[in-house]
Amino acid sequence: MERRWRGLGVSTGIAIGRVLRIHSGAHYIYRAVLDEADVEKELRRFRAAVRLARRQLLAIKGRAERELGPEHAYIFDAHLLMLEDSKLLEEVEAYIKRERVNAEWAVKVVGDRLLAIYAEIKDEYLRERGSDIEDVVRRLLVALSGAGERARKLTEDAIIVAEDLLPSAAAELDFARVRALVADVGGWTSHTAIIARGLGIPAVVGVRDLYRRARTGDLIIVDASRHEVILHPTETTLERYQQLVARQPDLSPLDVSNEPLLTLDGAEITLRANLELPAEYEGVRRYGAQGIGLYRSEFLWSRHNGQPTEEEQYAVYVEIAELAGPYGAMVRLFDVGGDKIKARGAERNPALGLRGIRFCLRHEEILRTQMRAVLRAAARGHLNVVLPMVSDLVEIRRARAILEEERQRLQREGKAFGPVRLGAMIEVPSAVLMAEKLASEADFFSLGTNDLVQYLLAVDRSNDQVAEWFRSLHPAVLRSIHRTLEAARAASIPAVVCGEMAATPAYAVVLVGLGARDLSMTASSIPRVRRTLRHIEVRRAREIALESVGCATADEVEELIRQRLAEAWPELFPPNALPAPKNAQ
Amino acid sequence: MVERRVTVKNRLGLHARAAAQLVRTASEFQSIVRLERADGSAAADAKSILSVLMLAACCGTELRIMADGVDEERAISALEALFQTGFGESDPQV
Repeated sequence: MERRWRGLGVSTGIAIGRVLRIHSGAHYIYRAVLDEADVEKELRRFRAAVRLARRQLLAIKGRAERELGPEHAYIFDAHLLMLEDSKLLEEVEAYIKRERVNAEWAVKVVGDRLLAIYAEIKDEYLRERGSDIEDVVRRLLVALSGAGERARKLTEDAIIVAEDLLPSAAAELDFARVRALVADVGGWTSHTAIIARGLGIPAVVGVRDLYRRARTGDLIIVDASRHEVILHPTETTLERYQQLVARQPDLSPLDVSNEPLLTLDGAEITLRANLELPAEYEGVRRYGAQGIGLYRSEFLWSRHNGQPTEEEQYAVYVEIAELAGPYGAMVRLFDVGGDKIKARGAERNPALGLRGIRFCLRHEEILRTQMRAVLRAAARGHLNVVLPMVSDLVEIRRARAILEEERQRLQREGKAFGPVRLGAMIEVPSAVLMAEKLASEADFFSLGTNDLVQYLLAVDRSNDQVAEWFRSLHPAVLRSIHRTLEAARAASIPAVVCGEMAATPAYAVVLVGLGARDLSMTASSIPRVRRTLRHIEVRRAREIALESVGCATADEVEELIRQRLAEAWPELFPPNALPAPKNAQ
Repeated sequence: MVERRVTVKNRLGLHARAAAQLVRTASEFQSIVRLERADGSAAADAKSILSVLMLAACCGTELRIMADGVDEERAISALEALFQTGFGESDPQV
């Protein structure tokens, strides 16, 4: 019988497939009393299991580093240390000897004791890390059961269902074949969510009790956009969803061609990829991105555990340039805060603190090193730099002077370098208000809609208390985008809209209506947006966008857009196809 | 024996990654290295990650580092540096 669950969609998209349950730890552990003579044998069995677990972890760590980046792999370093920890090992061995019991029971008892202490911790973030201890204990129990972790044999349509997708289990999956992830617990920032978004697959978490009810092989539908999971769908439901899926990104070779995207009335639109992790490189090729509209270079700080050297940066930028091809890549200068470099007290208000271009100009040597690396890599491909968080024209002037000085220095040194254009991120209200002036000196604009909404509406994106005030379709946001794009047009400079707003088809139509012709988004969203934009007329999008700019509230805008899009293109935007308003969750 | 006072400065406190770094560093030295909450409410062996995690030292916690052994000076300086640089962490700003 069809059953539906509501959870929290932590990525977007719909998938239909077969359940694959991933066991996350609740083994039935039995207690066995040993003969005195067998205790030594039991200790050896325990040590062998520790070695096996250690080998598995090393392999997982290597794999996570390659596919997801070191920021996701560090956790396995902590797991390795736990496996070596005397607090765990000695206590387990002592327990085996003292109680003359089997290793499984000893691991369970000692593990539970550690977890009980952990559960007392008041700080929520630190307390949640108890899941790491659980993960290590589980791994030891599996190792003791003789089998190494079985290689996950995945069918093409596997949808992972777990109580809690522990970090190591997630990293062991054959990512390429997983269609969607579902977990009974977890939130927006859980590991499951981060991985799902990186891979561009649907994921729903917080689906209580699904794990217990689902069996491997069951038919299941995961609709992350509507925060829903459907087990044993009826024929009717299945058919409806198959249609919805058909309207999703079509990944056939035809759809990812690099042919120019033209709207019905002939306007050319460029779709680029936002990029951060190495795991996302593949998506840039696969989804036919026309270059890279935003490379978040601060990733290199976490990869190198501090400031990356010029050579380290050079190697990465060459790789990025090659990946981007003729369309080029926009490298956003390190958007990091002051805490990266100095032991200064944490800033009371980092979002308004020393970050973005302010940080780069304060630490000029870091900026110069990055500029040199980009200039040199530009000899091998098309690269531009973008200044994050510009709030004043002086910042563009100073950055340009430094870029020029480093260019001349490279010339004196006889090193190869290429042309690099200098763009400004428009994401702070003062930059919007001064857009005409900035446009006269920047080579291009890059509109970061996420931060723009945050700064314009004074809403902290990470604060759940004010989540309902974060409205991408607030008239003030639309007016700001419109104004910025107009300024770029008047000055004849390109403008890329690179916030995640562009990744939602309905929003992308509005952006195009406001004048955007160049959008950058998570690579996996490109086919869906391309499919939509190919079937609209810019003329009508413009009418709708201009009407929405005149609205008084975000609610009005959302309602207007919902109606107008359905009227204009009913086949693209049937009544239920638009993203539900944020408040409706 | 040498002793220093430090404050946890990184936003997430001594969580798994920071703790792992701390334990790796402490383990490079022969000295016995201990951490203690400044108010004396809890103490930990700096070479045991489980022990360090149990300190539950969140951002702002004041700690004492104590090292005892042939290389105590070097050990304590290395650990102090980790705390001062906030374990090389940044607040991710996407």
